[in-house]
Amino acid sequence: MSSPLACPARPQALEVLRRAGAVALADLAVTYTWRTWLFGRVPRKLSQVAFFALIGRVVGGEDAERFLVVGNALMACAVETTLVVASSAWERALGTMPLLVSAPAPLAWAFAVRSAQWIISGTGASLVALLLLGPLFGADWQLEMIPVMVLLVVLTAVGTYCFGLALGAWVIDHPAQRNVVSLLANLLMMTICGVQVALDHWPAPVQTLAALLPITHELVALRELLDGAPLSAILPDAAAGALVGAAWLAIAVVAFGRVGERGRRDGTIEFGA
Amino acid sequence: MNRYLAGFRLQTALLRRAFGDLHTLLTVPVYTLIFLAMTDGVHRPGLSTDAVLAPALMGLWFMAVFTAGDLIVWDRHHGTLEPTVAAPGSLAPVITGRIGAVTLLSFVVYVESWAVGAGYGLRLTVHHPLVFLAGVVATAFATACTAAMIATLLVLPRNAQIYQNSVSWPLFLLSGIIVPISALPDWLRPLSRLSFLYWSAGLLRSALGTHPVDDALLRLTAVVLLGTVGAGAAAFLLRKVLTRLRVLGTLGYS
Repeated sequence: MSSPLACPARPQALEVLRRAGAVALADLAVTYTWRTWLFGRVPRKLSQVAFFALIGRVVGGEDAERFLVVGNALMACAVETTLVVASSAWERALGTMPLLVSAPAPLAWAFAVRSAQWIISGTGASLVALLLLGPLFGADWQLEMIPVMVLLVVLTAVGTYCFGLALGAWVIDHPAQRNVVSLLANLLMMTICGVQVALDHWPAPVQTLAALLPITHELVALRELLDGAPLSAILPDAAAGALVGAAWLAIAVVAFGRVGERGRRDGTIEFGA
Repeated sequence: MNRYLAGFRLQTALLRRAFGDLHTLLTVPVYTLIFLAMTDGVHRPGLSTDAVLAPALMGLWFMAVFTAGDLIVWDRHHGTLEPTVAAPGSLAPVITGRIGAVTLLSFVVYVESWAVGAGYGLRLTVHHPLVFLAGVVATAFATACTAAMIATLLVLPRNAQIYQNSVSWPLFLLSGIIVPISALPDWLRPLSRLSFLYWSAGLLRSALGTHPVDDALLRLTAVVLLGTVGAGAAAFLLRKVLTRLRVLGTLGYS
């Protein structure tokens, strides 16, 4: 008969993911109340989207407004989900890293889900911006488009989260850089991924770099949806974004594995930072 | 004056040790690049000037709100607010001196946006250097004073950072720093005149233009006046907030 204190050799992945998810939900409840989200976060996102969409009114009329409102509304969830970079680094300051490293489960399992609260809040922010501000700037969503729109926003949020997760693995060893890294990631996406200007505004190497980021593909898909393109045209772009996001997740899993190994080897998994 | 200088010296030392806190400065070249790309090929008088000027003003504001806006909250977290308040000198000059250090450093935003503009092939000439210089100094003053007011407002609410992030974009919209206020709904436009950035942006824009600057003194006065109102509100609020924290016994978080 095994001792009740004995750890199973192969802990259930689902159990680790479930508990990491509970941490994420608890963090969400601490970060936002309905009041701070509705009267603090959402107005900030809406005013930023409106600011850029109104530039469209100055530079190119209704088409530009529509282009910018869609781009910036989707960018709202990308900005939110890259908070995973900072929240991954929190484990250092909280002193929980040694416990996570010594637990009989890959480090990546816990980190992959412990910041999922940003996917929820980011998806909400983008949907509010698309549905509330979109029609004011020429993005007239038809009712039948909404399920696909929701799917594309979720894919963007998850894909960008995975990109941020990979950056988070690097930031765990450089926690002081967490805000700089997430800021640079956001600025990069905002500049080259077709959010503010068309992709072909930039030289080919920059376009190649943009193709490595999930939001680039999902944004193309979302604009195709708004233009009334059939699902068969939208699906390849949406799938490309999901594939790129999955690649970033794989990179993050490998990177977190190395963080644990390196920390054990050189003794840098300290309590607190 | 000693208290202003003490605050200034303290903040300069802190910024030197935690240069990462200045990450806001990274946004200025990128926003300049974005605005220049967005306005590329659009023939509208003054638009390229705005594309360079707006990111500088945004950077100045972001620096003030994110770095200076955190001062009191940071002091509470680190347990230094209690001894500072217990000291015989008033807190307001120390806070203003600290924010002054941040704002002085923020002048680099003009260099950043100008450099990106030049790299993009845009040559901006300051046709009215005196007006421009006076506008830059008055803008820095008003920014510091308004940031001091926000720093004080952010002490009491829980999750203050969420609200801290919320003021910037509505302010940029209201101030017409790149989108003219004529693009705003009629009922919103009068509010623009209550924003010092509206007057600053207009004045600096005019100083870069070839035409004579209309109402330079009036606009300069508006910037300084709104900054002074901010400073007065900051001093008033600081007294109220400190009294409240003393009553609650929450000057420190621990």
